[in-house]
Amino acid sequence: MPQSSAARSERRAERSLGALSSLVLVLITAMCLFVLLKAWPSFSHNGPMWFGWGGNVDDQLAAIFNSPANPAKWDYTIRTWPILYATALLTIVSVAIGIVVSTLAAVFIVEFAPPSVKRVVSPVVRLLAAVPSVIYGLIGILVLVPFVGNHLIGDGRKNSVTFVVQLSGASLGVAVVILTLMITPIMIAIIADALRAVPNGWKEGALALGANRWRVMWTVVVRSARPAIIAAAVIAAARAIGEGIMLAMVSGSVGFAPNPLDGITFVFEPLRPYAATIVDNAEGLSVKPFGQTIYAMAAVLLFASLMLSLGGTLAKRPLRKYGVRL
Amino acid sequence: MSRSRITLAAVAAVAAMVVAPAAASAKPIITLSGSTSVAPLTSKLFPAFLASSLGKGKVSFKQYQGGSDVGISDVSAGRVTIGNSSRDLKSSDSGGLTWNKIARDALCVAVNKSNGASNLTTAQVQAIFSGSTRSWSDIPGSGKTGSINLYVRTAASGTQDAFLKLFMGSSTVSNSAAQKASNGLIQSSVKSDPNGIGYVSFDFVGGIKPLQYQGVACTLTNAKSGAYSAVRNFWMVTRGAPTGITSTFIRWVQTSTAAKKIVAAGWVPLV
Repeated sequence: MPQSSAARSERRAERSLGALSSLVLVLITAMCLFVLLKAWPSFSHNGPMWFGWGGNVDDQLAAIFNSPANPAKWDYTIRTWPILYATALLTIVSVAIGIVVSTLAAVFIVEFAPPSVKRVVSPVVRLLAAVPSVIYGLIGILVLVPFVGNHLIGDGRKNSVTFVVQLSGASLGVAVVILTLMITPIMIAIIADALRAVPNGWKEGALALGANRWRVMWTVVVRSARPAIIAAAVIAAARAIGEGIMLAMVSGSVGFAPNPLDGITFVFEPLRPYAATIVDNAEGLSVKPFGQTIYAMAAVLLFASLMLSLGGTLAKRPLRKYGVRL
Repeated sequence: MSRSRITLAAVAAVAAMVVAPAAASAKPIITLSGSTSVAPLTSKLFPAFLASSLGKGKVSFKQYQGGSDVGISDVSAGRVTIGNSSRDLKSSDSGGLTWNKIARDALCVAVNKSNGASNLTTAQVQAIFSGSTRSWSDIPGSGKTGSINLYVRTAASGTQDAFLKLFMGSSTVSNSAAQKASNGLIQSSVKSDPNGIGYVSFDFVGGIKPLQYQGVACTLTNAKSGAYSAVRNFWMVTRGAPTGITSTFIRWVQTSTAAKKIVAAGWVPLV
């Protein structure tokens, strides 16, 4: 049977698009392999203790950087617990705050805001989601960090911990505030989309049964959009975990694990997550063992973001049941 | 007729495109990479060398940055002709490299402008940065009582390496210090922190207060006269001894009056 030329060209387009998308797959696999290969010596020298604690992580990094020339004597010893803890702490706290704020904001935008407000707020939220992180970092280092350091932390508090850590304003608190600010707009956008996608019939049904708008919102709309809220949290977590530039600027750049038992001081203690460590130390990549250690941190981030995106896909699945696509 | 003329024109255009870069590449290109502290100086040296009788029309330059260690590893792998370094030779650097000193640069210890201190001795600098002195009340003249906030560079930095050698002797930098990735970040942190202290290349003292070290002010004049001791070296590293036009260029940088004038404008020329 002779094929029409239209069908042929369609097939050709399909095939080239298929080739392109498999190229992306190949690239991602190659990237993962490359990072893992580069990172392997660091993991294999330390074993599971790579994630453990002991010693000072900044001293260990310096020792690795100053390894002798002989490859047999390269130093690899590192215990990245303070950095792992910092990454987890920052991500979990800011996503937790973000979930509450963004759900409330999305409910307001979709259900309660007057149309004139809606017209302004929705584009602004999308705009905020697109602001480059380095701008947040600049605001942090020029405005928030000096303000916190000079006005919120008293000399007494600084002196009380001076032999353990210095409180200069760049801290857990500032980092969480800016990180939350950075990820909330994305979460609002995703959750608002999901709330809009909830079929009107469900709402109308609940209203017809005598429930008020507020009640309909919580028991019907937000409830059925729960998977989207989880998906938003996962996507926000992926962004928070990989944020390097901004956190390198405002988090204090010390490999220190803030201690919740310190009370209020905890909020003012500095820390440094994986991504910021990579940004800060990129200059030393050419020293082999140091570069391999930095790649090991990159591998951890890569693995974490792969897991998160997998989790995000799984979280959105229940919504499809109702024919709601995100 | 017209078609053949168009073909001819097209062939000529293609030939010109192919030949032009070939003709350009007949002129040798000196490639450089490495220290971000050295780069501002070298980019001022290139046009001057190209304008001089030694370099006119004979060479072109391509410079990449990335940090001293990038330059050294690039040059030892043969990826560039010259690696710029703001740190001295380290035991882990690969052998077979020639280190050509081209200039020197002053390193200043600096505090916030609100700080009353004006001079630090070697012992004081070591006590402050190693963390054994933690309060400004222990530094006479500072007029402050709060704790000292240290701003240092990451281990991988050439400036950090120079600071350890020039100021710290056998002591190490306290590990509660905030580690910043560039001179500029140290400058802005010290600028906004009344209790801060850090160290920067002489280029970066704007907005902060460079301190006297051992009673000598951190100025270009003092660094040139040799009175100010905390001066580090800038190097152009080559694989083996430099040859041909590269050797001419490096010798020009080291010895010519024109190059010395450029260096003297912001750095310390070789004696």
